Amino acid sequence: MNSHQQNAIAIRIPALLVHFVIRQNQFQIGVGKLFAWLALLLVGLSAAIVFVRYGFHSGSIALQETILYIHAIFFMMGMAYTLQQDGHVRVDVFYSRLSAKRKAMIDLFGSIVFALPSMIFILWIGWDYVHDSWAIQEASAEAGGLPFLYLLKSFMLIMAGLMLLQILAMISLAFCQIFYPQNPKVIALVASQQHQREEPF
Amino acid sequence: MEWLALLLFAMVFIALMIGFPVALTLAGMSLLFALASDQFGWFDMAFLNSIPNRLFSIMTNPTLMAVPLFVFMGILLEKSKLAEQLLTTLDEVMRGFRGGLGFSVILVGTLLAASTGIVGATVVTMGLLALPTMLKQGYCPKLATGTICAAGTLGQIIPPSIILILLGDVLSSAYQQAQLNQGIFSPETLSVGDLFIGALFPGMLLVVGYMTYVFAMALFKPETVPAANNIASTPGLLGRILQSLLPPLALILLVLGSILGGFATPTEAASLGALGAIFLAAFRQRLSLTILQEVMQGTLKITSMIFLIFIGAAFFSLTFRGLGGDDLIHQFLTDLPGGVFTAVFLVMLVLFIMGFFLDFIEITYIIVPVVAPVLLMMGVDPIWLGIMIAINLQTAFLTPPFGFALFYLKGVAPNSISTLTIYKGVLPFILIQLFVLILLAIWPQIATWLPAII
Repeated sequence: MNSHQQNAIAIRIPALLVHFVIRQNQFQIGVGKLFAWLALLLVGLSAAIVFVRYGFHSGSIALQETILYIHAIFFMMGMAYTLQQDGHVRVDVFYSRLSAKRKAMIDLFGSIVFALPSMIFILWIGWDYVHDSWAIQEASAEAGGLPFLYLLKSFMLIMAGLMLLQILAMISLAFCQIFYPQNPKVIALVASQQHQREEPF
Repeated sequence: MEWLALLLFAMVFIALMIGFPVALTLAGMSLLFALASDQFGWFDMAFLNSIPNRLFSIMTNPTLMAVPLFVFMGILLEKSKLAEQLLTTLDEVMRGFRGGLGFSVILVGTLLAASTGIVGATVVTMGLLALPTMLKQGYCPKLATGTICAAGTLGQIIPPSIILILLGDVLSSAYQQAQLNQGIFSPETLSVGDLFIGALFPGMLLVVGYMTYVFAMALFKPETVPAANNIASTPGLLGRILQSLLPPLALILLVLGSILGGFATPTEAASLGALGAIFLAAFRQRLSLTILQEVMQGTLKITSMIFLIFIGAAFFSLTFRGLGGDDLIHQFLTDLPGGVFTAVFLVMLVLFIMGFFLDFIEITYIIVPVVAPVLLMMGVDPIWLGIMIAINLQTAFLTPPFGFALFYLKGVAPNSISTLTIYKGVLPFILIQLFVLILLAIWPQIATWLPAII
């Protein structure tokens, strides 16, 4: 391989990674914006259930389970989006004082050592669990409950899959920040990523 | 091999300090530790086989449904500029008294705590609106910053608060477990509602404590608190008072009243509160598609953040148990000289110190599940324990050097206010917190009598 080819690869790698990160981020943001609407649905339905319960003295197990499903799907689908938005709480006593490069190194380390294995583990160990549930088309244990427990359980795998994708994007971004800090595409991407981190509480 | 459990704890703690997201660090570190211990035959990976089961019970826990609903309500009320309006009107009412603005800040903090419950937003809003005015009027900067920080953290203890929901969830399963271990097979239950009701009086006690302090300063150190301001109020004050106070009061009454009256569970009350907040925002013409989307996305992020910590904590607690950590802690706490008193004291001390570094969510899901069953088996009242822990964790928000409230205020305070001023300012309020904790330790009835009669 001559130096010209090496040079070409050195340019291709960050370009490809940046492309992947941008597409991935757009995808996660789309998922987040879509599933955020479930918040409003959750408020509406759970308020409705109170009125039905006290107004008509009747409760519906199917309706209650629907709300529980919406709640679970809401946050399971939001986890990777929240990671993309850097919304998962960090102990930032030291982290907040570090340079951008040091932060990228911590993100690279944490993604590979902590995040990746735990999500792969959930996928691996959850696979049989969800598979067994599908095999019997598992339904609610309650009389009058929803017959879709196997669908609800599948969101474990969907969550882990979305997280995996987002973690790969984090790794790519951190890799670019560390090894190609001068690349104009990387600089532009990092600049566009400056989220205003808001403290939740 | 029980020392391995302590090593796990230490390594998780160190790993958290590097600043990677807490939930994933918890999960990853515990998993790696479990895999390594399994290699040496010190751990049985079968313990982690129940991860899918744990995940499923997190997904289907009806108690935790109150979390997104209250978060939704809180963010929407914040975006409706509730705080701003309350502060300006109350200031006008109270300006006839020495220290009026100080009292207003505490009152607004209390009202916001009972409605939005978001510490950061409350401290920032009051820091932007009240602090410059307080300094201009001649309040001692220490008193002004301390009052704002302390009033802001009330959101953690005055119901409805997220911390009480999470504590209620953890303590109720700890209580069941403790009673089953004692051979009680028809165990008594603990609900989030019990904790909400139990927190009312201790919360009020803190408010009274803060006010007494400001009052005492006005009395004995009048140079730190400016005299009454005799500017006549502009006409139409009564109308503005009603307009700014009534809607949030009605909302608070709806949410807390329905829980206190036993009409609704906290989750049901939360859904009514969230619906009420939508009406309130619409009434104030603060409801637009943009705001609604901001609120929904904010709710999604905070809820997902909290629930991912539950998943991380499940990895930790299963590994910790598999290594014999639970037994170790049980042995240690029951063998302490001085019995229950020393055990509770030690746990409170550890929680307080942990509060310097970790969020209340991690503390609630890492440490409380390990220590609470032991303390409850020793005969400690679950409501009392919950309130003690909640006040303790609330104090952590105020405690230098890492208290969140202090960061929030420093971020918006004028440059003339140094970090040290804020540290010194919150000191008396931390003492008030400790004082209330001691009162609660001597008279647990402060927390337990109201839940007992409702």
